[in-house]
Parts: sequence; structure tokens; C-alpha cells
Amino acid sequence: MIDSEEHPYVEWIAREARRPVLTDSAARARLMAAIRAEAPRALRRRRWAGLLAPRTLMLSPLGGALLAAGLVGIGVIAGRFVHNRDVRAADGRSTTVAVTPQLPVSDTVVQFVFTAPRTTRVSLVGDFNDWDTNRTPLTYDGNVGVWTVTLPLSAGRHLYAFVVDGSWIPDPRAPLAPDGGFGHANSVKIVGGSRS
Amino acid sequence: MQTFVRFVTDRHVTRATGGWVIAKDMSDDAADVQRVLAGDVEAYAALVDRYYDRCARFAIRMLGDRDDAEDALQATFLRAYRALHRYQERDRFSAWLYRILVNQCRSIAARRSHRERVFVREEAVLLNAPARATSWAGEDEEIVQRVLAELDPLLREAFLLKYIEEMSYEEMSALTGVGVSALKMRVKRACDRLRDRWERIKDD
Repeated sequence: MIDSEEHPYVEWIAREARRPVLTDSAARARLMAAIRAEAPRALRRRRWAGLLAPRTLMLSPLGGALLAAGLVGIGVIAGRFVHNRDVRAADGRSTTVAVTPQLPVSDTVVQFVFTAPRTTRVSLVGDFNDWDTNRTPLTYDGNVGVWTVTLPLSAGRHLYAFVVDGSWIPDPRAPLAPDGGFGHANSVKIVGGSRS
Repeated sequence: MQTFVRFVTDRHVTRATGGWVIAKDMSDDAADVQRVLAGDVEAYAALVDRYYDRCARFAIRMLGDRDDAEDALQATFLRAYRALHRYQERDRFSAWLYRILVNQCRSIAARRSHRERVFVREEAVLLNAPARATSWAGEDEEIVQRVLAELDPLLREAFLLKYIEEMSYEEMSALTGVGVSALKMRVKRACDRLRDRWERIKDD
């Protein structure tokens, strides 16, 4: 019997499988649209990295005195701000928060965004809705091709995934849960403190 | 046995020279990666154009489904874009990208096997349904996909990396984290399964 790795049938299968496949140019366009949507975020991350990089400052005695005076001024303004905020909280008045895509709009209200122009139904499942596929549907904005939902979340670490036309998919924009791994891929969202 | 005649007659045709990495691609890759990291997002389109079709072939052969393959490709290129600042230039970009692709295909296959447990029971119904228009280009393509789909996913993955992507066992090992001897065993077993399949069908 011929060794299987040199068997003509195996060679035929390999040769046929090596043929190029037809790809959909629209799929590439969708991919690049998603990449361009990512770009500002990635750039912002690099800018922050630049600002946080250590650097040496040279100060003359006069410059040092001016800087010290400036810092005292900032402290005073900050103190007034904290004071004002306490008064406002005591009044029981609510504050308005602006909805910004992809970023938690406050420590407790979180917007989930999923880019998928050709799907018909997207919902959110997580530890906060008992992984119920019907409870938290996303709404589609045809102008930008994204699905979104905004909901309040308790502070802490949450595991979640999107259900896209029946398939469970982790959030491509968020880190995966380390315990998810193979076949149970969930994403992680930290609410309160760190913004992920 | 039309199929048999065809593969016997062209079995001596020289194997396609799909050299895994061409030197020019490597220098182009490095330049494009630098441009992307400098903030030029359009340079990433050049990388996508260079690797999309090759990655698509692997994803389609591995997953056997165009929608799943597209999901794998989207996730692969998005992840690669996000992680590009972690890519080390001493590695080949293509190998680095393929590592992400192989992992994405594994995840999607695992998720789908969960989904398919339901579908298998409905197969009897489907077999009696009128033939549907297939999304595959031709008859041979369809046969190849069906035969590949019969292989265990780990055997299929090893077979594709060896015979379709034409990688060395060392490259495959670096990519999958699996030892060379285990990979050789997987490729051998995949080929054995294919040969056994042939032995079964040739008398029909």
C-alpha cells in the first residue's frame, strides 16, 4: 500500500485545496471601515503613552517659584470645585451625562457598541441580565452601521457577550475573560475606576 | 470514476510554488507596519490586501463556511491592528498574523460545534429536501470541502498548514505551540484518513 502522504488521492485533495478562493470585496471594505473606526482610539492611546512617558524638566529658581504659585492656585480651584459638588449632591439635583460611543458615560451607565452592518439582530448577554438573550436588544443605527445599547451597571467586573443572529460572539473591542478560553469566549468590562 | 481519472492524469503536474514568504513582501510588511504605527491607517489596507486572500483560503478550508470564515478574518485583522504595537519586527508579519488567524478559527469552530449539535439531528430532514444552490465554485471544490470537513479539526488544521500553506514543521510548531513530532503525527493521521476514505469509495 502506498504511504498515505504520497497517495494520489491525498495529493489531489491538497492540490485542489491550494487553489485560491474567491473573496468578497465588500467584506474587505467592511473590514477597513471597522479598522478606520478603531483608528482614533488607538491613536489616542499612543498620545497618552507619550504624555505619560518620563521626561526631565529644567527649572530656574524664578520658574520654580512661579510653578509653586501655580500649583497652589490649582489646589484652591480644585478645593472650591469639590465644595460645590458636595453642595449640589446635598441638594439632590441630578447631573446630566453625555453619551460618548465606546466609553462608559459615567461610572454606572455603559454604552455597548457592536459593528455589524449585515446582521439582523444583536442582543447583549451578561452576568447582569442572567445571560438572557431577549432582555437587552441592541438598536441599529444605519447611518454609522453600528448596534448600540446603553444601560446602567453596578461597579465591578462584568462578563458579557453579544448574540449576533443567534451566535454568541465576544466583544471584538474588549479584552477576553481569561477563564473563557476555548469555546466559551466572554468579554470583560470593568465598571467604576478603570475605563476599559 | 471521473474524479479518479482527473487526479491520476494530472498528478505529475508540478506542485504550485506558493512559497510561504517572499523577501519583498517582508520588507514591504515592515515598512507598512511602521507607517501604521506612525498613525497612517491606510497603510494597513496594504497589509490587508497582501494577506486577505491567503488568510481567506485557510479560513474557508478550515471552517467550511463562508460566513464563519469572514467572521474569522474580520476578527483576525482587527486584533492584529490593535496588537500591532506589540508585534516584534524580528518575527515575520505573516507568521504573526497566521498565529492570530489559527486561534480565531479555533474559537469559531469551537463555538460552532456547540451550535451544530442541534443541527445534526435535523440532517435527516435536510437530506430529503430539494438540492440547494451551493455557494462553492464547482464540483471539485465542493468535494474537497466535504472531505476536509470530515477530518477532526486538529488533523484538518495540521493538514492545511502543511499541504496548503506549505509550512515547515518548525514554522507550524512556532505557530501552534505544538511539538514537531505531534504535528507530524497529526499530518500522518490526516493523510491516513483521506487514503482510507479513498479505499472506501473507489469500489462504489
